[in-house]
This record gives sequence, C-alpha cells and structure tokens, in this order.
Amino acid sequence: MKKKFIALLTALILVVSAAGCGNSAQPTAPEENKTESEKEETETAETETADTDLQSGTERTEVTMWFWGAAPWQQEILQKNLIDVFNSSQNEYELVVEFRSSVDDDISVALSAGEGPDIVYGSGPAFVTPYAEAGKLASLDEYAGQYGWEDLLQTPLYNTCKVDDSLYAVPIAMFCSGLFYNKEVLDEHNWQIPGSVDELTAICDEALEADLYPILYGVKGWLPALEEVPSLFFTQWAGPSAVYECLTNQQKWNNPKMVEAVNATNEWYQKKYLCSDLFDLSSSEAMQLFVDGGAPFLFGSSSGYQRLAGFIENDEQAAKFGFIPFPSGREGVPDPVYTLAINATLSINAASENKDAAAAVLNIIESQDFMEKMTAQWPGYWMTALKDYSTVNTDGMGELGKQCVEVMRGVCDAAAESKFGFYSSTFYPAATASVMQNIDTVWYGTSTAEELLDKMDAEFAKEYANGSVPELVQPAE
Amino acid sequence: MPKQKQKTTTQLRGPKRSVGYLVLPALGLSALAVFLPMLLTIIVSFTDWNGVANLKELNFIGLRNFTEIFADEVFIKAFVNNVLWTTIYLSIPVCIALFAAVLLLGRKNARIAYQILFLIPYVLAPAINAMVWLYIIFNPVSGVWGFLKKLGMNVINPLSNQSIALYTVAGIDIWHYWGYLTVVYLAALRQTPQDQIEAAQVMGCNALQIFWYVYFPNIKATFRLMLIMIMITSFKSFDYVWLLTQGGPAHATEMLGTYAYKLSYSMFQTGKASAVSLVMGAFGLAMSSLYTALSRKEDPS
Repeated sequence: MKKKFIALLTALILVVSAAGCGNSAQPTAPEENKTESEKEETETAETETADTDLQSGTERTEVTMWFWGAAPWQQEILQKNLIDVFNSSQNEYELVVEFRSSVDDDISVALSAGEGPDIVYGSGPAFVTPYAEAGKLASLDEYAGQYGWEDLLQTPLYNTCKVDDSLYAVPIAMFCSGLFYNKEVLDEHNWQIPGSVDELTAICDEALEADLYPILYGVKGWLPALEEVPSLFFTQWAGPSAVYECLTNQQKWNNPKMVEAVNATNEWYQKKYLCSDLFDLSSSEAMQLFVDGGAPFLFGSSSGYQRLAGFIENDEQAAKFGFIPFPSGREGVPDPVYTLAINATLSINAASENKDAAAAVLNIIESQDFMEKMTAQWPGYWMTALKDYSTVNTDGMGELGKQCVEVMRGVCDAAAESKFGFYSSTFYPAATASVMQNIDTVWYGTSTAEELLDKMDAEFAKEYANGSVPELVQPAE
Repeated sequence: MPKQKQKTTTQLRGPKRSVGYLVLPALGLSALAVFLPMLLTIIVSFTDWNGVANLKELNFIGLRNFTEIFADEVFIKAFVNNVLWTTIYLSIPVCIALFAAVLLLGRKNARIAYQILFLIPYVLAPAINAMVWLYIIFNPVSGVWGFLKKLGMNVINPLSNQSIALYTVAGIDIWHYWGYLTVVYLAALRQTPQDQIEAAQVMGCNALQIFWYVYFPNIKATFRLMLIMIMITSFKSFDYVWLLTQGGPAHATEMLGTYAYKLSYSMFQTGKASAVSLVMGAFGLAMSSLYTALSRKEDPS
C-alpha cells in the first residue's frame, strides 16, 4: 500500500511538472526582448498557400523567405498583406514564408553551404557586408533602378546596404532612438514633456524621490541591446559629426568628445536615471511597468511601439503615451536629432533561381501602401525607410499607428536637413559595434571610458582596413 | 543450420582483423562528426576566416589569433571563470550528491520517490529552468524578489551583481545537476557487496568508517569517472550561462564557450573563435587522457 502510494505520488509530481513546463515555456521566451531584430521566441511555424494556381491549374514556383519567429497574430497580418498580395498579383510564383526563431543562425549556416531561401533576412547592414563579400548575396542594382528604390528610400540608410558601391540589401524598416513618455504619470506629478536635457534630468531626480523609476529600460535576455545607450549618447553628447569622423577614420574613437559621451552614460547609470533594474528586466517587462505607471519615461526605439501595442487595449489608452527624440546633451549638437537605424534587411540569395520574383516581393515591402496597411494592424515594426512620410494616409490607423507615422515625419524632416545620428548595429562594422555593447564594463568600473574606446579603435582599424564600414552620408552640425 | 551456427561462432572467435571491421561504422561516424570538424577548427584557428567567406580562399595569419586571445583580458577573464566554475563543480555538487546518496541508501522504500524528485530539474530543459529563476524568482517586479521588495527588503538580483553573478549562475546549474549525480552515486553505492558491509558492522566500524573503508573503494571507479566528466563539461559550459546572463554583466560570467560564440556570431571572427575553442578542446583532451591513464593504471590486465 505504501509503495503504491509512493508510486502514485511520484506519477502525480511528474504530470504536474510536465504540465507546468508546457505552460511556462511560451510567454517567457529568452529572446523576447531583442530590440533590433525583434526576434520574439515563438514556435516555428510555416505559412503556406496553395501549391497550385487554381485558375490556371499550373504548378507555381516557390519563392522562399525566412523570417523571425513572429507570433501567430503577426503571421496572419503578414499573410494577408504580403503573401496573399504577392501570390494574387501573378500566377507564376508562390511566396512561402518560414518563421524561424533562430533565423540569424539558420541563414548563416545555409548561406555558408550555398543554400538558403531566395529572400535572405539579415539583422542589420553589418550582416550584409560579409555575406556580400563572400558572394552569397546577389547585387540589387538592377532592381533598384527598375523599382526606383534609391529615390524612394532614406539615403543614409539606403547607403548602408551598399558594398563596394553596389546595393546588396534593402531595409525592412527604419526606427530611431528616443523616449516614450506616460502622460498620466507626468500630469500626476506636474511634470512637462522635457524640451532639454536639464529638464529631463530634473524630472529624473524628482522621480527618484517619488520612488519611481526615472527612465525604464530592460536588457534581460538580450544583452546586446545595451548598444542603444552608447549609440544615443554618442549622437546627443558627442554629436553626429564627431561619430561620422570616427566612422570615416578621420578621428580616433578615443577622443575627448567620445570620452565625454561614454562618461555621460556612466553618470546616468550611477545616478540611476537609466533604470536601476535594467539587467533584471526584459524589454517587455519594462514596457509593462511603464504602461502601469512605474516611470514617466521609457528608453527605447520607435519600434517599441509594437511592444507597447501589446499592452494597450484601445485608442483612448494609447493617447496617454507619446514618443520624443532624446534631447541633446550639450550645446552645438543639433536639436532635435534622431539616431537612425534599420531594424533588419532583406537581400536576395546569390544562389536563387527566382531573383526577379524575389525582387518583386522586396518591392511590395518597400512600398508606402504596404507600410500603411501593416502599421494599421501592427504599429511600430514596418515603418518603411521612406524619404517622405508627408503623404502617408493614417485614416485606417489607430492611435499608436498615427503616433508612429508622426514620429517618422519628424525623422524625415530632420534627415532632410541631415540631422541624424548613427545607430551602431546599422552604421558600425560588426566587431566595433560588439565592443560598444561592453558599455557595462564602464558602469561596473572594470574599464574606463578610454579603455573601452581604445578597444573600439583596435577593432575599427582592422574593419576599416577590410572595407567593412558601410557608405556614410555626412550629417550636419 | 548447425553448420551455419558453427560458422558464425568461428567468425566471432576468428582473427582480430574481422572484429576490427565491426568498429568501422563507429570510426566512420567519428571521422565525419568529430575528426573532420576538429581538423577544420584547427585549420581555421590559423586564419582570419569570418565564418561566411569561401573556405577555398582562407587567409592564413599564423599564430595571430592565439597571440591576440592570450592578450585579451576578456579571454583571460573567461578562462579564470572556467577554472573557478570547474573548482566549484568539483566540490559542491559532489559533496551534496555523495551525502544525499548515502542518506538515501538507508531509505529503501522512499528512495525511488526521492530520486525522481531530485531528477526533475535535470530532466527539464535548461531553458525552462532558466525561466523559473529569471522570471519567477529573480524578477524585480512580479517574482519572489519583487515580493520581497514590496515588503520593504532591499534585495539585489545576484545575477546582476558583478561580484556574485558567477556563483549564482553556478548555483543554479548545480541545482539542476546535483540530483543526477546523486542517482549515479546511489546506483554505484548499491553495488557494494552486502557481506563486506556486514563484516565491517560485525567488526564494530561506525558509519563513517563503513563509508570510507567499504563503500568508497567500491564506488571509486564511478567517482573518478564523474570527476573527469565534470571537469570536461565544466570547460564546455554554455547553456545556463547564456540563458541567464549571456556572459554579463561586464563579463562577470563570461565563459570560454560564450566568448567563442560571441566572437563567431556577433563579431564575425570565426578564426579567433576557433582558437578559443581549441583551448577548450585541449583542456577536455587533457582530462580525457588523464582518465584513460588512471583507468589503465588500475586495470589488472
């Protein structure tokens, strides 16, 4: 009897444990807070359409694309606005999108073996250069001319997709760094939306006294997101021109302006302006806290709107939030200035036999019409890197979509005056950008600003010599 | 039929060469899955290959990758962390597991349930275990840590505390591993001949003496094997570190495995990553050789 009881108890424990792990696995995926490539951990799924064209009865040729592991509701939106649109636009090809949570690694392995999908996803231009140099990607120059991409897309971002003056990728969308604000929290404490860095720090001090996080931010689960901080501080404290001079090898990274910028990040971290729990919160948790009134501000990029959408129930609630560019840290730096970035790129596999069809898919993604439809249903992620947002129709969009478009209009206006900064994963070569992610070594006192910048110089020298730095547009100052 | 049976028996007892053929599939598999990648890693470690470029165009740079990694403080930090990790693993889980196994030895009825309970963290996927600690325990808002904060306690997440992050990750890894070690030790302890134990009891030995003079010599081979396995796996540790801290904060939990991964996949420096991997491999090879040497020494044949 005792043995039976023990056996029964054991079985019960195992069943309960197994059930528990099944439930806990999905909502807490470790990659949920990758901010640049936005690879939320979900089950891999494959979206397929009919194998044959029903009208003609002929078999279609598959055009394949791998994308990050989007949630089912996101897959449905992509199905409706991209896959169905492309498939119904002709009867020769069928677009098949595979959603893979490990898309970066899968692409890397597949391309190295001369395989992979027709349309190649890349987590930013830094990924494009080595693949293009290795002959794994097809030149898009012909298609750029055919579809007029150069005239359509933001020049600073478009140029980063070039290797040796030839286009090898197009941006999926653009975003900029800045601050989300919570109007309710600001109103409750009689704070105004800050127009300068002094106003911002004054609010931060008062927020700390009020036992609030001043600026919420979280990197748990995706440490490389730390690059957002130095990217932004380089723009706002050192200035876009100073960064441009470093990226074009006219100046060393270890120069007084850059040192000041790195030290400014340290000062903000030590003063707890940047969330004191930033290593303990994922970006989703930080956003949830922000929506719940845990802070007046949230540090992040405009693509964070897609995360915000997950916590918003209606337009009335959405109207309580807004986004502003980060104020400049010193005199002489343009204000407003936006640290520009590309969330991801799309290229065409050099081994693809369906390059024309793949280019046609890319052209849908680069269109204003696609952006409008996607932003109406999935705000934040699909902000196509258009030069001009003035003609974008926001009628079908909710409050968050409209806010996204408004932010992009500000970005376009500033970019038209060459007031833009350089986000590391978009404009810096890979190893140099990786060193920047070690900004926490300065915060924890294991290295100084000068030592960190010396490391950047060492990596940058090699990458500059290799031609790994993308083509840059000179910003104004 | 009898003739066929006789022939088979002859083949089995035949020259060693025919037995050697039976090893060929395993050798072939090893050549493809182990030796070929190993050879490739050795070659790549002397190049500046970025992991993507055509392998036919390898650019050999001599020992530069090795000189660079040995001059790199992150590599040194990772190496020291690996040594610390190994030391922790060779002591804490071994002691806990051995103690628990000895205790369970005397609980004949309940030990199955205990073993299953202890094994649960081991059989669960590392990602699930990491989520439990990250999101249920150390979460500063909704987890146990958040609850303690709301009670007014000034608790700091040990995973983001540079001075104890490594020990915290090691602690979580040990939490998942020690149950497995207990089961292995218990299985070995149970093989101890009963007459030896009874003889010791008759001679008036106390519990400690019985363990040291009877049980331990009987489990010595298993104990030694597990020690070597711990040393090898410690230098390869990656999963829990990556899931919990990704080597941070400020490289406090950086291991050779996480460093090699970053070099290869974030910085496109696969040549250098291969050099780091070779250091890890060299340690594993040294441990394997040590085990083989010790086993041969004790082998009566």
